[in-house]
Amino acid sequence: MNAEVSSIPKEPGEKEILSDLQRTVSASRLGLFLQCRLKFYFRYVLRLTKPKTPSLHLGSSVHAVLKSWNKARWLQKPLTLKQAHDAYTTAWADTSEGSVTWEPGEEDDEKTTGWRLVDTYLRESHVPAELKPDAVEVSVEADLRMHGLPKLIGILDLVQRGEIIDYKTASTTPNADKVIHTTEIQTSAYAILYRHNTGQQENGMQLHHLVKLKNPKVVITTMPPMSQQQESRLYRQMESYLNGLQHGQFVPSPGMHCASCEFFNECRKWH
Amino acid sequence: MAIKLSANYSKKLGLPQYSSHSFSASIERELSDITQAEAEIARLYGLLQQSVDQEIQHPGFVPEGNGSNGSNGNHAPQNGRTYPINGNGHRVPAKPAADRWNCTEGQRGFILRIINENQLPKQDVEDLAQQLFSTGVKELNKMQASQLIEDLLVKVGKPAPRQTRWQQRPTAQAA
Repeated sequence: MNAEVSSIPKEPGEKEILSDLQRTVSASRLGLFLQCRLKFYFRYVLRLTKPKTPSLHLGSSVHAVLKSWNKARWLQKPLTLKQAHDAYTTAWADTSEGSVTWEPGEEDDEKTTGWRLVDTYLRESHVPAELKPDAVEVSVEADLRMHGLPKLIGILDLVQRGEIIDYKTASTTPNADKVIHTTEIQTSAYAILYRHNTGQQENGMQLHHLVKLKNPKVVITTMPPMSQQQESRLYRQMESYLNGLQHGQFVPSPGMHCASCEFFNECRKWH
Repeated sequence: MAIKLSANYSKKLGLPQYSSHSFSASIERELSDITQAEAEIARLYGLLQQSVDQEIQHPGFVPEGNGSNGSNGNHAPQNGRTYPINGNGHRVPAKPAADRWNCTEGQRGFILRIINENQLPKQDVEDLAQQLFSTGVKELNKMQASQLIEDLLVKVGKPAPRQTRWQQRPTAQAA
């Protein structure tokens, strides 16, 4: 008897997903796990999808044009403001990551806000066009098996003169001390990635916040290289992540962050 | 008047139990003419990097995964840590310099596959590496190789799938 077997890709089961999650981790995944394990479970294990939010769409469009701008100056063909605007328009029209459900008039307002952020950033020359980057939005990974930890993965927005630069959009002006603390998982992870991939210690890190105010502004927070203590903290957090996944400890952590959680309704049904 | 050029290269690598080892090498040179500086710096950088890379592969004593660690002494490892490289001080046979790539084997294979499958002239790839990083393909570190791979994929019309970093992160607002 001949039998034809169709090759429909099989959806991975929960066990397989959990196993994958223990092999590889990113800063955002780790941060979410430590913030709320149930939210992590909904997003990464059950893979519940939610519509893309306007602020997320704005952030990704801004990021896309900054990437184009940095890439162009690297190749010594810097973009004019018009070319940057064209790149922004193209990025805005890209719905491959999901589309946003806009309220009437909302899209135009958000689009203008996003461009004003980019325009402000470029006009203020926070990254001089003549400086050659070391990397632009590069995907990197660090094998931490030697520490009994998952492989760390991440994307570095910009590396220049050995400094790691990360772009963020925000609706309020960040406080330097707080933002250094609240982004520590990300910055430490980036430092480890940088060191593993270059064999060098980073010269420092910068967060470039593009703040969506009536008059947009750019706030740059500079940080020294990651300390030994911060490195150990991250490794311990990763160990906690591994242990949590191994034991299936996906409990909710109610708090202020629930106000903007897209899984609020699902969480309320959890028991 | 003689010009003194001092070059230093240092590298630090992670070891088990959150420890690390590092090595640095320095060279001083006298130049008769400032116009020699750029070329001499490039030469010394290559020389020092190659020398440090060669030596730092031999970590000598490496802490065992027995609970004593590099953080604060009360934090025992729990995940069966192992250390994949030769940690007993014995030298691992080095590849001939001409065959040695600084990036990973996987990256090396990927770069060569892109070249072969798309019949890219090797010189074009070498030129791209020089344009971006002012160094040859074999000398690229892992980060540079990742960047080159991304650019090569764009060049041959097969860009890597757009990163999904912006998906499902409504509270982060990362740009």
